[in-house]
Amino acid sequence: MNYFFGINNEIFKSRVEIPIFKNRSIPDKQIKLYEIYIDEKKWKYTNIEKKNSESNFFIIDEKNSSNDKIYFLSKDKSINKFNNDQLENLNDFTDTVPAFRSNLKILIINGGFSSYQSEYPFQMIKSKGSIVSSVASLTNSSADKNYLIFKNIFHFPINEKFNGFFVDIKNKKIMEKFELITNYTNQIEINKKLLNENIFFVSQDYLGIPMYVSTKDNHISFEHTHPLHEYILSKNRYEKVKQLKEQVNEIIN
Amino acid sequence: MKSLIKYFANTKSGIFLRNITNIKPVYLKTFDTKVPISISDAFAWRTDNGFKTKFKYSDILELFYNIKNTWVEIHIFSKNNILLKKEKILDLKSSNEFTITKDYLEGIEDYGVFYIYHFSKEKFSGENIISNRCYLGYSKDNNLYSFVYGNTLAKYTNINPKNSYKSDMVKMSFFKDQIYHIQKYFENFDKNELFFSNPTSKTINFSLENKNYILKEGCSVIIETSEKNIIVKSNCYFLRPTVFSYKNNYIDVHHS
Repeated sequence: MNYFFGINNEIFKSRVEIPIFKNRSIPDKQIKLYEIYIDEKKWKYTNIEKKNSESNFFIIDEKNSSNDKIYFLSKDKSINKFNNDQLENLNDFTDTVPAFRSNLKILIINGGFSSYQSEYPFQMIKSKGSIVSSVASLTNSSADKNYLIFKNIFHFPINEKFNGFFVDIKNKKIMEKFELITNYTNQIEINKKLLNENIFFVSQDYLGIPMYVSTKDNHISFEHTHPLHEYILSKNRYEKVKQLKEQVNEIIN
Repeated sequence: MKSLIKYFANTKSGIFLRNITNIKPVYLKTFDTKVPISISDAFAWRTDNGFKTKFKYSDILELFYNIKNTWVEIHIFSKNNILLKKEKILDLKSSNEFTITKDYLEGIEDYGVFYIYHFSKEKFSGENIISNRCYLGYSKDNNLYSFVYGNTLAKYTNINPKNSYKSDMVKMSFFKDQIYHIQKYFENFDKNELFFSNPTSKTINFSLENKNYILKEGCSVIIETSEKNIIVKSNCYFLRPTVFSYKNNYIDVHHS
């Protein structure tokens, strides 16, 4: 099961297009979109109506973009299993190969736009851990500004602070430490001094999706980095990633 | 009995049977390798219409295996699968860049695909398979690069160089019965282009907006589309185009 999310801050708004069809089949007109949010330490949900009945997409436009609301698709039956105390794997509608994705687009008002096919898999929601991501891969030293956007969704309805770092893995040094929040779309501006090949973003305790944005003259580039285990396809992939993460964790601890 | 069926289902014949009957089909090749392998996507490059293409890649062998003295080769092909250039890059950093421009290609304003392979002369355990999905940036008229990552696993080779390159990681269907419905609403753009490449050694037949197309081994094509909902029908289990969307002076590039 996949969840979907948006972004809303002083610089960027998002538009999320969530399809009512799997990528290898026809639209399912019975499927509904639910918005969920935290209210008094409980998960709450509301049903979102589809505005354009001709379209095969639910659209969360820029006026409704949010850092703390998340979305999922469900039929009537499985929504009955919704649990206010923790997010559950409610249905398999979005369990597809290739992955079921929304189009997550960010925009500068009266400026450019950039998107990627986005999802937040349920298996990341239940687990704790750390994310390691190369900053140089998707930033641009010629851009005016570069940002890290880090989305965390955690199954318990909490907004807990946790640490993020920019570390130099070659010189084994913390270059910057900053605060992130669970169940939130966090945004951090990246200092130009940190745009070199040795700098990695590291999250402590919580997983999430690291996305990078560059802007110049109202043009935008927006993409997420791969999970490290996608670089290795052999059986030892998790062992190799664990070894690298252990090296990085020694720096931040 | 169950384990026997499971064993057969994962043999070459079993996968063939699963794919023609469409029962639990296998979209991508699975490896049982005795040599270390470097896999590359078919990465799209463009130098047409004011485009240039920046490619960012990591030194995976150094990063994960602490192997020094590694190098990469980048093999650049035209849209008709003709080898244009081979680039051998030594002295790798953790993260590296390579830019394909019209000048680099000696005046060629066109498009195609390229592949990247990681190499080392050090003895390397045969069980290891690495894949560089990398990141590609497209700049039009010298504006900011719009980045996207690799799209489809395509070719592979031995990390200890043997000068032999294989493909067909993506499986084919006997019939044009595979559909891929792109999960994006193509509304309110000035123009949308879909960049298709054939990651296999076979001929791909596909249709889009009631038009039929043929894509031979390693070839690529850019198709302008006007539909709001895009469905690709093909005889390939994994034919995903890269999307170029245009509005005013802005572009957005992403895989589909």
